[in-house]
Amino acid sequence: MVPVVLGTTFLIYVLVFALPGDPIRVLGGDKPMPPSVYQALRHHYHLDEPLIEQYCRYLLGLFRGDFGETLNGQSVSSLMASSWTVTVQLALTAWIFELVVGITLGVWAGLRKGGIVDSLVLSGTTFVIAVPAFVLGYSAQLVFGLKLGWFPTVGTDDGFPYSYLLPGMILGSLSLAYIARLTRTSLIENMRADYVRTALAKGLPRRRIVVRHTLRNSLIPVVTFLGIDLGNLLAGAIVIEGIFNLPGIGQQIFLAIQVKDGPTVVGITTFLVLIYLAANLVVDILYGALDPRIRYE
Amino acid sequence: MSEMTDTLAVAQTGSEVVGASASLWSDAWRELRRRVIFWVSVAILLAMGLIAAFPALFTDRGSNDRCDVKLSKHGPSSWNPFATGGHPFGYDTHGCDYWAQIVHGARAPMIVGFVVTGIALTLATVLGSLSGYFGRWLDALISRITDIVFGLPLVLGALVILTAFPDHGVWTMSLVLGVLWWPTMTRLMRGQVLAVRDADYVQAARMLGAGDVRIMARHILPNAIAPVFVYAMLNVGVVIGYEATLDYLGVGLRYPTVSWGLQLSQAQELFTDYPYLLIYPAVLLTATVLSFLLLGDAVRDALDPKLR
Amino acid sequence: MSVKKSRWLVSLTAVALAASACGGGGSGGTKDKSFSFAITEPEHLTPGNTNDGQGLNVDEALFDRLMALDPTGKPVPQEAESLTSTDQKVWTAKIKPGLTFHNGEPVTAQSYADAWNQAAYGPNGWGNNAYFATIDGYDDLNPSDEKAKPKADKLRGLKVVDDHTLQITLSKPFSQLPLVLSFAGTAPLPKAALSDLKGFEQKPIGNGPFMLDGAWEHNRQIKLKKFPGYKGPRPAHADGLTFKIYASRDAAYTDLQAGKVDFDSQIPAAKVPQAKRVLAKRFLSVPSGTMDFLEFPLYDKAFANPDLRKAISMAIDRQSIVDSVYNGAFKPVGSLLAPIVPGYRENACGEGCTYNPQAAKQLFDKAGGFNGTLHLMFSNADSTYEQWMTDIANQLKQNLGIKDIVFDKVQVSDYLTKLSDHKATGPYRSNWIMDYPSAEDYLTPRCTPPIRSGYDGAACLDLIKKGNAAGDPQQAQQYYQQAEDTVLKDMPLTPLWNWRDQAGYSNRVSNIDVDPYTMPLLRLDKVTVK
Repeated sequence: MVPVVLGTTFLIYVLVFALPGDPIRVLGGDKPMPPSVYQALRHHYHLDEPLIEQYCRYLLGLFRGDFGETLNGQSVSSLMASSWTVTVQLALTAWIFELVVGITLGVWAGLRKGGIVDSLVLSGTTFVIAVPAFVLGYSAQLVFGLKLGWFPTVGTDDGFPYSYLLPGMILGSLSLAYIARLTRTSLIENMRADYVRTALAKGLPRRRIVVRHTLRNSLIPVVTFLGIDLGNLLAGAIVIEGIFNLPGIGQQIFLAIQVKDGPTVVGITTFLVLIYLAANLVVDILYGALDPRIRYE
Repeated sequence: MSEMTDTLAVAQTGSEVVGASASLWSDAWRELRRRVIFWVSVAILLAMGLIAAFPALFTDRGSNDRCDVKLSKHGPSSWNPFATGGHPFGYDTHGCDYWAQIVHGARAPMIVGFVVTGIALTLATVLGSLSGYFGRWLDALISRITDIVFGLPLVLGALVILTAFPDHGVWTMSLVLGVLWWPTMTRLMRGQVLAVRDADYVQAARMLGAGDVRIMARHILPNAIAPVFVYAMLNVGVVIGYEATLDYLGVGLRYPTVSWGLQLSQAQELFTDYPYLLIYPAVLLTATVLSFLLLGDAVRDALDPKLR
Repeated sequence: MSVKKSRWLVSLTAVALAASACGGGGSGGTKDKSFSFAITEPEHLTPGNTNDGQGLNVDEALFDRLMALDPTGKPVPQEAESLTSTDQKVWTAKIKPGLTFHNGEPVTAQSYADAWNQAAYGPNGWGNNAYFATIDGYDDLNPSDEKAKPKADKLRGLKVVDDHTLQITLSKPFSQLPLVLSFAGTAPLPKAALSDLKGFEQKPIGNGPFMLDGAWEHNRQIKLKKFPGYKGPRPAHADGLTFKIYASRDAAYTDLQAGKVDFDSQIPAAKVPQAKRVLAKRFLSVPSGTMDFLEFPLYDKAFANPDLRKAISMAIDRQSIVDSVYNGAFKPVGSLLAPIVPGYRENACGEGCTYNPQAAKQLFDKAGGFNGTLHLMFSNADSTYEQWMTDIANQLKQNLGIKDIVFDKVQVSDYLTKLSDHKATGPYRSNWIMDYPSAEDYLTPRCTPPIRSGYDGAACLDLIKKGNAAGDPQQAQQYYQQAEDTVLKDMPLTPLWNWRDQAGYSNRVSNIDVDPYTMPLLRLDKVTVK
């Protein structure tokens, strides 16, 4: 885990360093900047030091819990603190949405394989995967937000969860499609398993078999997916937050890349990686709980 | 996005593939031939491929050719394409014939889709087989590197690298995405190789004195590659959607390249007043991506005897 | 089980619908007579350091200066009683008595001197440093050698005569000083600022009609309330003013449509037709001082011939591009000055900026044409740049027969560096945002070395200097116009169009008084809330 964190942060650090342009000149806007001012700012942000020195300084700061300073003098930690809450709420909405609706649809379609519901779920989910997220986002904002007025259109003014419902659903829709299909296939496979045949032969009601036996086994791949997906949702937020004006990490990192604001980019990425790894750990533990065959020594 | 399909593909095709590969593929083909959806998606993809490869067959204009900004955003004069005086889709924001622009816009996403998948598939096959077959330190090394690249969210990596190389064209962009895209497939490949490595027929071949290269090429690869290949097929569609998203974020392709993604990103802010600008490229893009997904689905189902 | 879950979802959605139906309407409760203004995240709020439009919008509400611009663009006293000079070199500012900062500290000549010294001191790295370059002693605070330590940290030219008198000595005569001192970046600082600049940035203490209510909530809002102790010329009519921070102009406009923000000063060009429809009378189009140019890298041999530059200029159909990209809102110009600046002449440029494809082609061929790949360069700061560059590319292709045209779309962070390092690969977008309505403001950067295009501006700089020294505004204007003619004749850059700002307001607010001479467009103090 430690090498992965170090490797990924270093990778991002080098990439940001390789970005063209001079972040200090951006601060000057359209006017030329006096050389004295330019030099003073470069020194302040340690941009006059070699890459490796900058990275080490950054790592040392990281150990002390200091994420550095953005190019307009804010501390990255406080910036992240405010933007993370937004993204976490967004991701959570999306996650719950895809979990509940996705599994429901998947089970429903799986139990009635070949029926109308099944075909609808299959075609619907394929369609959702095929349409780019930003087209989906804009259309939903226009129709459900502005035209019909069902949801707040932009911003977080209406608080959790109302402000997050529409963007959350759009963000979750792609994963929802995957979850529904995954649940469906997994359930169909499991329904053919020997133990189901045995249970049926024993005369257990189908409903009980599904709820008590099949579902639990079918959910193992879904759990894996849900874990990995948390990290994906955070990355997908870059697009969705832009459309719905949610001041979350996606926005921050997108803007920071534009102006080559290294500390912000690296700080947010480090956090993303940590969360991703934590999610994987939780998945591993859940595995054991769901499938008694998997045990860790 | 790719990570998502990973588990999906593993869960659905990850079971051990039993039996000789030849009969597996011919069984699958017999199964596929009977499915309408297979033929529909193949037909759409062939049409799109033809448009991408030979745009001159469909329009006499070049890309960005004979544009007149005075005609900007003039929609089709009629919804009946034969009554529009040769401009069935009207004009785009720059006053170029929209039909011609959309025809020329097919090539870039197709190239990106195939090249990225190709690069990723090649890397994945090599790295995945090596790490699955030899195990030990090589496996550990390759797996760690995979983890590191995997830990970097794809959108983010692409955003940073493409920003760093602003002069990228279709090929550079494909290269960048390909380099970021391989970890998922590599993991899938490694899992497949692990599954067949200790199969009886491999043991038999080894006892008969076959070398590592021969075992890998003749026995392991043909039996391990099927799910990875299916995944790659689905993946072409995913990459095409991805390219559009990067265009939308402003780090994708640019003039004089014409691409559906660029058209979409320009059209979305004009959607309320000029819906046709969004609808035409959106329909074509979605149809293409959808065909790849459906084709992949169909092939996977055909390959997996359990789902029949 | 599945049935139960879907029912749960239905009820969840129903709750959401009900809640969003009750929401909406203005910001805050019904009794609160405050209004909101859409901005994007400012870079800074300390006046001397704030050079971005967003931060300046906020500073306009928080800070008063010596001078201000009236709705016709003339400088009028704000905190000053008078600002006078006999030789345009030594100026005397008298400050009105009884004015205070939001914390009660009186505004004195020293408050101004402190603020200006901070901004002018190079090592502080403040954004408005260059505005003080005309004051005597500036060079001592900003050595041209990057490594050298400044010889002084106070401007020699500033003399605090008494609490209410500030004497400003310039290094050269400069008739436009009253206009410069109307800029929000020249506002005074209280003593509290000097002891804790970092804290001040997050919670500035100003002297304007509005004061901070809380602190700067990054990426969310900056909340202001009416300053009860305000004694200046523009007391606030509303009880409060909240700057709501948006991630993009699109998002701000969407909120304006939904009635959740009261004023948006930058409706995106693509949304204008829709905004006209939706907002009707609440849609405003305000002339602006911002200009777009196409500048040529004269240091590249390919563009050394003025006839070639003129041919390219004449091959661009400005009106059609403006109609298509900016819905006809922007104004094609043939001048380096914006129409709102005194001294502007309609098409000062003449035939060189008039669309004429045949003449352009002839001139182009006469100049020897263009071989190889033509690069067009612009930054990714705004999506419309790429749109109109595409149109220009298509027109050059069509009208001049240049076959191979590619784009060089550069990261904002890299763009200006490339331009000032003379690394432009071809004609590039260049623009000017007005600091103050004077021809001098538009022309000085065109003629003072180092010039981005590599143009030799000696002749035109001479004329500008004559204008700066002239006491009579009429005479000054004549010199400036001669300078403009010189540049247009050589055409190191060709004017494209002059911007207009597209604004809109909600139906909660009235007394909406807009003009281009105040940064937010809107006279913030006059707004009343229903």
